[in-house]
Amino acid sequence: MKRSGSELLKAINLRPFVESLIAVLVGFIIGAIVLLAFGYNPWSAYYWLFQGALGSTYGIASTLRYATPIMLTALTFAIGTRTGIFNIGAESSFYFGAIAAVIFTNIWDNMWFGLVMGMLFGALWALPAAVLKVYRGVHEVISTIMLNWIGWFFVLWLIVGPYANPNDPNKTLRIPVNARLPIIGYGLSIAIIIAIIAALLTYFLLWHTTMGFGMRASGINQKAARYAGMNPKMAVMWSFLIGGLLSGLGGAMKIMGEGPGYAISQGGANIYGFGFDGIGVALVGRNHPLGIILSAIFFGMLRAGTALMQAQAHVPLEIIKVIQGIIVITVAIPSLYDLVKKAIHRGAA
Amino acid sequence: MKKLLGLFLIGLMALSVVASGCISSSEEESTKGAIAIVYDVGGRGDLSFNDMAYLGASKAAKEFNLELVELQSNSEDDYVKNLETLAAQKKYLVIIAVGFMMTDAVKQVADEYPDQKFAIIDGFIPDKDNVMSILFKENEGSALAGALAGLIAANDGKDKVGIVLGMEIPVLYKFEAGYRFGIKWAEDYYKQKEGKDVSIDVLYQYTGSFGDAAKGKAAAQAQLSQGAWVIYQVAGGTGLGVFDAVEEALKAQNKKMGPPFAIGVDSAQDWIKPGVIIASMMKRVDVGVYTAVKDAVEGTFKGGVVELGLKEDGVGLSTVDDVMAMFNSLPEDTQQQKLKDLGFNSKDELKQYLENTRKQVPDWIWDAVKELENKIKNGEIKVPAPMDKESIEKVRAAQTWQEMMELAE
Repeated sequence: MKRSGSELLKAINLRPFVESLIAVLVGFIIGAIVLLAFGYNPWSAYYWLFQGALGSTYGIASTLRYATPIMLTALTFAIGTRTGIFNIGAESSFYFGAIAAVIFTNIWDNMWFGLVMGMLFGALWALPAAVLKVYRGVHEVISTIMLNWIGWFFVLWLIVGPYANPNDPNKTLRIPVNARLPIIGYGLSIAIIIAIIAALLTYFLLWHTTMGFGMRASGINQKAARYAGMNPKMAVMWSFLIGGLLSGLGGAMKIMGEGPGYAISQGGANIYGFGFDGIGVALVGRNHPLGIILSAIFFGMLRAGTALMQAQAHVPLEIIKVIQGIIVITVAIPSLYDLVKKAIHRGAA
Repeated sequence: MKKLLGLFLIGLMALSVVASGCISSSEEESTKGAIAIVYDVGGRGDLSFNDMAYLGASKAAKEFNLELVELQSNSEDDYVKNLETLAAQKKYLVIIAVGFMMTDAVKQVADEYPDQKFAIIDGFIPDKDNVMSILFKENEGSALAGALAGLIAANDGKDKVGIVLGMEIPVLYKFEAGYRFGIKWAEDYYKQKEGKDVSIDVLYQYTGSFGDAAKGKAAAQAQLSQGAWVIYQVAGGTGLGVFDAVEEALKAQNKKMGPPFAIGVDSAQDWIKPGVIIASMMKRVDVGVYTAVKDAVEGTFKGGVVELGLKEDGVGLSTVDDVMAMFNSLPEDTQQQKLKDLGFNSKDELKQYLENTRKQVPDWIWDAVKELENKIKNGEIKVPAPMDKESIEKVRAAQTWQEMMELAE
């Protein structure tokens, strides 16, 4: 089948993209008003935000580095939403990916082994919620929240207990040098490339395979999908497992691809929160893998720009976080609106 | 949709006019140079570690007419980015990294920018020409805190004291070891003075965080309920919750002053809750930061380790004068607000109250603590400074302070 360029564009549907772009603008404008109200110069604040995030090779590398883990956790959430489940288990699958990478690369210092084990354990940790949902009808929000906590404390125990570094007790064992992800430059590893490939594969899976069609169909209407001869139960199962796998990959790459520590810090400080951030990224990216690539980079920019925004525009980090929160909320509104509309629709039907 | 877009564009333009109007007034370039300081994740407002660093930096900036640039870190993923961004600007006399957690990041960035001077507080980087490592002998100061806590408990016939710590990092082992040492020393001192054997247990908890007051409060409440008579907080912002817990325990008994007492850390924290905090183990981060800037300005900056102990005034137990000096360093309106909150009409009343708090503890205890201080200063007594898990376990297992002193050698 041959398609012309304009037809392809039509197929991708640019409307959500334009909506999000407008929302970004609105967010920046409201943020500017807040900055003015606090007595800061919004012009120079934003100038240095972009200068820090995109103004130098190092800035761009930082932006992409920050974008990597949240891109993967966002995919987890998006796959869930596309199959009609509200999967917030990305958070704990991420922990398991990270700790699995630490444990298994210290057994065999091979990068691929670490990544595969990260994915495997991320997916395994998603399994209980999947089974509970499919066979017992337990709502995934409840089960994934609870499993997040169980996973959190279990991994914390692994961090301070058996896998603590005896020479540096505030960290786990380090990833052996041979198993670390190659660095492209400026502290950026090939993790970003793997993440983008994962997003493209997810897109391909959801929109260009029979399995993906079944997943999306059961996301829109389970009964209709069943009636059409598909298997919504398996769709939900796969959605959990692939989601867990992606977040596990994110966790593994977070530790294997980011110096200088190449280890999980005590208290899980450098693996916490990425799953939750991923929900925001997914909403901004309209739960579309390609949108998520862009929105993760956008979130990465906001993070990378904070250094110069503080140093040159003299805006304290707390205010920067307020501004970023405002921007993220306005950007997420269109997608939240969709979600709520769908929920009401389903409730009525 | 089009209408909406137009509206935004108009808004944006209006904004840019406003913004360009004020851009000229924001730049001020009358200073002789600049210094930068990167805070740990705990950040400003902890009333201890990071705020003390700011105190030293702002004092130096004022004195040498320098621009002070401050950077907070949102998470530890920001350390390298913050340091690297500053170093790339090539305009700072010295970049100060506040906190042990930044050690790896400073090492990396210092290698990339060999011409940029760095100073790190609490981080051990002995072998780089462009990095000054400023370390403190927290074990010495904590020994005084331990002696004070131990003697107060022994004198009141109690057998437990507590310590609430932040993350389990080697720096904190030094605090814990010093505190334990001081308590063992107090047991011995009390036995010789009163002829009675006492044995004081140390309840300890690493909360895993420096910025979570709720965690500190929960940990202290648990220790109080087990009978801890004095609690030493070594947890930055987390430790503020320890003060709350002790204050609530006092309130429940209708008391305004301890015991039970809390002991503050890093800065002279007594003013935060007068009556609750008997004294603070000061770690003069401000002195360290100031020294680094001064050396950089005067051209005497040298890479390597600088260690500040009791003798160098790098650590010490707070006096009422220290507390008032700390209080006076707060902005004027903060001082007034705080006095009002505490129910004092003047600073003199606060000072009087602090002195009364200290009178809850008999003079001979203060003298004993002073005695220990002098013995540590003149080298007669050495306090262990474990830097890894194995050696802290040995200190925990030791039965007497003499046994601990052998570990110090």
